[in-house]
Amino acid sequence: MRFSPSVLYAACGALMLLVSGHSLADGRVVDKVYHPYVQALERSVEYRYFYQRQADHPDNNTMGQKLGYGFSVAERAALEIYLIADRVSPEDYKLSGYELELRWMLTEQGQYSADWGLLFELERQNNQDNFEFTTGLLMEKEFGPTSLTLNALAVYEWGKTIETEWEGEFRAQYRYRLLPAVQPAIELYVGENYKGAGPSLMGVHKFDKQKQLKWEFAVIMAIDNDTVDRTLRFALEYEF
Amino acid sequence: MKINRIKGIPWQHLALISLALPVQAEQALFELQIKDHLFHPSVLYVPAGEKIKLLVLNQDPSPEEFESFSLNREKVILGNGKATLFIGPLQPGRYHFFGEYNPDSAQGVLIALPEAQWQQRRADNAN
Repeated sequence: MRFSPSVLYAACGALMLLVSGHSLADGRVVDKVYHPYVQALERSVEYRYFYQRQADHPDNNTMGQKLGYGFSVAERAALEIYLIADRVSPEDYKLSGYELELRWMLTEQGQYSADWGLLFELERQNNQDNFEFTTGLLMEKEFGPTSLTLNALAVYEWGKTIETEWEGEFRAQYRYRLLPAVQPAIELYVGENYKGAGPSLMGVHKFDKQKQLKWEFAVIMAIDNDTVDRTLRFALEYEF
Repeated sequence: MKINRIKGIPWQHLALISLALPVQAEQALFELQIKDHLFHPSVLYVPAGEKIKLLVLNQDPSPEEFESFSLNREKVILGNGKATLFIGPLQPGRYHFFGEYNPDSAQGVLIALPEAQWQQRRADNAN
């Protein structure tokens, strides 16, 4: 399947128009920075965790966990289903929602000056009849032994207890492919009420044949006064 | 669908993306075959400094995954299928690759030659 450059120009332009303006987000901004690649026959289970801390901030002590199962549905498309649990102080941990995610690889790696993909996510918040639809462009560009990954996402929220609105999110990761098991990076996140950046470390360990464990760890610090001071992010993904 | 307001992110961040919109040039084509869980040839010479197109033909009925950390590529090739990889431009050197489904047997190395050595090799092969 081939995509002409004009289609990607149009998609990028439309997304830019959609999310232009001033940012303010009520969702989880610090999450995975998505690569625009999908492998045929891929299957994985994934666990993600984040924790936010700042004594005098409303988001202090907030924790979130996601457990997912993903599989490719075509040579260039993969689905993943998640269970989401959140703890927002002073409440206890609870299963807060479900999410369905589709990743679509648009271009072959290295085919053009950058690699492109699309992300679609639909999340339903448990018991509250609130929904969140996220879509956007995933881009990665290789610079020698380093890779720059950018996610430009538009988020539409609606439901009984939240205001219907569009939001924009931007995630960036600049990674040095030092060794398969150790790849340092820096990450940047911009969204509603959140602007943060910080170091991260990730890697992959192969077990046998196509069985491998990917891991990611990041500490994201606020770069403005509205943002919670520190956010810790951790992810494990077992592919088989 | 009612949209009460649109919020967003600064233009500067998105401008980064526009710098990387698709551009493609013609690339030299090289071929690699997988048969009996082995790569043929197992040593592949290519020119350094230019992007190449690598056509991988899987003649086995089972799938195989071309993987190389140094080339930053992984691609599943279905049984009796084919896939095209776009590689480089590479620095002169050796780049190991292997088949993830059969890593004990499916091993190979791609050698990127500097311009002078590449031209010499082409001339030798022509004679």
